[in-house]
Amino acid sequence: MRLPAEIGTLVIGGGIVGMTAALALARAGADVCVIDDGRHSGTTANAGSLHVQMQSRFLRMYPEQAPNLEASLPLYPMAVKRWNTLAAELGADFGIKASGGLMVAEDRRQFDFLAEKCARERALGIDAHMLERAELERVAPYLGEAVIGAEFCADEGKVDPLLANQAIRKAMLAAGVVHAPETRVTAIEREGSGHRAETTRGAVRCGRIVLSAGAGTGALARMFEVTIPTTAEPLHVNVTEATGPLIHHLVQHADRMITMKQLGAGQVVIGGGWPATFTGENAFPTVLPESLLGNLSLAIHVVPRLARLRLVRTWSGVNTTADGQCILGALPGHANVFAAVPGDAGYTLGPLVGEAIAALVAGRDPGFDVARFSPGRFS
Amino acid sequence: MTLRFTFEGRPLTAKSGQSIAAALAEAGVLALRETKEGGARGVFCGMGVCQDCLVAIGGEQNQRACVTPVAEGMAVTRQRFPGETAMAAPHVARDPDAVRPKSLDDYAVERPDVLIVGGGAGGLSAAATAAKAGLDVLLLDERKVPGGQYYKQTADALDQPALDAQQRAGADLIAKARDAGARLVGGAEVWGAFAPDLILATIECATRRIAAKAVILATGAHERGVPVPGWTLPGVMTTGAAQTLWRSYRALPGKRVLVAGNGPLNLQVAAELAEGGAEVALVAEASAGPGLSTLPALAAMMRADAGLALQGSALLGRLRAKRVSVRWSTTLERIERGPKGLVALLGRREGDRLRDALEVEVDVVAMGYGFEPENGIARALGAAHTWDDRRGHLVCVRSPDCETSVPNLFAIGDGCGLSGAPAALEEGIIAASAIAARLGARADTAAANAARSRLARHIAFQQALWSLFAAPMRGIEAAAEDTLVCRCEHVTRGAIEAALADGAPSLAEVKRRTRVGMGRCQGRYCGPLLTRHLATTQGRPLDDHAGFAPRAPAKPVALEDLVATGRAP
Repeated sequence: MRLPAEIGTLVIGGGIVGMTAALALARAGADVCVIDDGRHSGTTANAGSLHVQMQSRFLRMYPEQAPNLEASLPLYPMAVKRWNTLAAELGADFGIKASGGLMVAEDRRQFDFLAEKCARERALGIDAHMLERAELERVAPYLGEAVIGAEFCADEGKVDPLLANQAIRKAMLAAGVVHAPETRVTAIEREGSGHRAETTRGAVRCGRIVLSAGAGTGALARMFEVTIPTTAEPLHVNVTEATGPLIHHLVQHADRMITMKQLGAGQVVIGGGWPATFTGENAFPTVLPESLLGNLSLAIHVVPRLARLRLVRTWSGVNTTADGQCILGALPGHANVFAAVPGDAGYTLGPLVGEAIAALVAGRDPGFDVARFSPGRFS
Repeated sequence: MTLRFTFEGRPLTAKSGQSIAAALAEAGVLALRETKEGGARGVFCGMGVCQDCLVAIGGEQNQRACVTPVAEGMAVTRQRFPGETAMAAPHVARDPDAVRPKSLDDYAVERPDVLIVGGGAGGLSAAATAAKAGLDVLLLDERKVPGGQYYKQTADALDQPALDAQQRAGADLIAKARDAGARLVGGAEVWGAFAPDLILATIECATRRIAAKAVILATGAHERGVPVPGWTLPGVMTTGAAQTLWRSYRALPGKRVLVAGNGPLNLQVAAELAEGGAEVALVAEASAGPGLSTLPALAAMMRADAGLALQGSALLGRLRAKRVSVRWSTTLERIERGPKGLVALLGRREGDRLRDALEVEVDVVAMGYGFEPENGIARALGAAHTWDDRRGHLVCVRSPDCETSVPNLFAIGDGCGLSGAPAALEEGIIAASAIAARLGARADTAAANAARSRLARHIAFQQALWSLFAAPMRGIEAAAEDTLVCRCEHVTRGAIEAALADGAPSLAEVKRRTRVGMGRCQGRYCGPLLTRHLATTQGRPLDDHAGFAPRAPAKPVALEDLVATGRAP
């Protein structure tokens, strides 16, 4: 495919953020081109959890980011709501199941940690409550005997990223967006009042640029001599063969790296932040045996009835970390260049963040206070 | 000995040693797992690859009928779609060590001199050679009985004499490897290859780490899928599956059989089934057959291996003796369910027209269109491959000693590119001798040199054989709009074409859009079809990265067995 020689807005990064930004911009009348490297297949390789409560993994791994996570918390119920309304607007089935999320505890200490987290989340308007073992057995009889209780968060669930990404892409194309997959930006230079981007499919002149390349955003920002400290965190995902409906919730753990959900197709997706790695000159995400074994041993510990299901696939997706919160707004010193990187649980926040940056590009109100998300905070 | 078991509550019998699939085929039961659309699937690959013959045994789902022997009193049921919610409980009591996630250090490490993956012709030959040189050899094979797909040994418990010289040669080679001191371990699933000295295999429900000084991959091949309409119906199976039912389990796949496709194996299997008592309606062969133009190929075969060439031509005599006709230049167009079995449409394709159309009604259609190398482990370890355009598959890049681009990783036999069992035997000797020399063992250089000169003849024979059976390669275009291309995830050709028409997506993107290749067979049938299709239609390069990414697990393994350390709880 050929790139247009000239475009009003160039969106670099065609994952959930870039696609929803492009869709919103095009619907507001802009001419938009989305280019996507696709090299990591990180861009649309999503697991599809809809997170609302604070993930214990981040609190454990990045305790210094806890205030940022907490400050961003109100965004999550908004984001889940937006997923639902977006599906309705597009008349598309995203495979959304809002059956709630359970963060389980195996001992009193973990339970107390969750209870405190739950209280803080409730104070911030999150619909969450604690369940003791007896109630939990009614709600989630599939959990193993090691689990003594859980925090239940009503708004959590899952979306089928395979369905959602496709429906959003179709809507974006219907709105007139030019989509250029497997295209990488090699250089960006100022030209007149706009920019000229050199890509692996030729050059494109553009008025405005949106950087929505997840962990690749930092490298793109450097082309403008701006610091955005995004880090690529390749994570391990295990997928079992399909089975009948078993796990109805998004399951997480207070103290261990384990998340589980069952797809509409019946396969159980098991993850939880176990590391993967990059290999070869194209930095292809590759799984590690330690993660595979560790993650699966935890899975059958928490849900013993998974034991006889077979593992059929593993893959790794790329999570983006910076300081635990979104990066949203114009780059310092570049009024026409914007960055849009969701905070933790990037896929959940994707449409909210994509549409927020579209609003900021158009000079409209993004619908929530973005002051603390300014890209300038890292300078 | 006769075993009693039930299928869907119906009492049946099996000969001791028979697989569930074989016993059911003898009872006329071909439909096993239930599908999304309310249909059924039966045995297709017959070798544990396609996952279409899944049944539940005593309530435990996802058991492959083709590789699981019948046991006395077994209660077998169809596997429901997508599976029962009431899943089997774990086999072992709760692991008291479970408070801590497993790490690699929890697994016992085996440190043989040589690890051989695969117990077919190549693997056994390598094992015999390496063990004879004094090396400590560990050979792992997925099947309980070694021999692979060429030697197809009769299940031990059947207690039957070998069918022919081919089975006897296999038994001799197995004995030779054992007598030389090689450890042949069956029922071992090599599912993770992270480095040549970090191979993970699940053996008897527990995982082992294997850190060998050298690794020989002898993983063989599985049959190429050609998605003719009806190829997912119960009763339609690969030629290899029909052969396994007979050779390994002495069960005919059905009474009336059609053999269709391309290549010499089909003629052999048709003769074997006919001699075993099946009514073989005919053999439909896509190539043009013997004629003036094939004389050079026939002459080359005689020069390379007169014995094998004569054995081949004797096959036609065996078929004539059983009144089985061979129709050359004939393709299988579609299979439908008829009132009394399967109705296959055959004919001679000339562009869009079908000449000499013929409908055949049978119980079983055995289709064979050649093979796809089983190269996932080699690719996962980073061994370089190139594309063989004529045969449409990857070929492993190797030194004259059969070493891959990864040091101390050797690869032999059909997994490297198809050259047949006789070539695999010689490559086993060559690779094992090279390793023996490298490790300072008693390498028999004279034997290795003799193997090299025989190998050259075998390759010449194979090349002539391919030109004798030359026929247009069939791919995704064999399918109709509503024919499934991805058997596991129920993805039709129409759905794939629609995805492809929308922006020329990559293979990975087509997978995400359609779920093609995400199922239990891990893309082994649809993957090669799509890879070739994308190369033709989009000009995508055919290289190591063209297919689905080769990630663990190389085969599905139950989570519990996969993480089990095998240590007493």
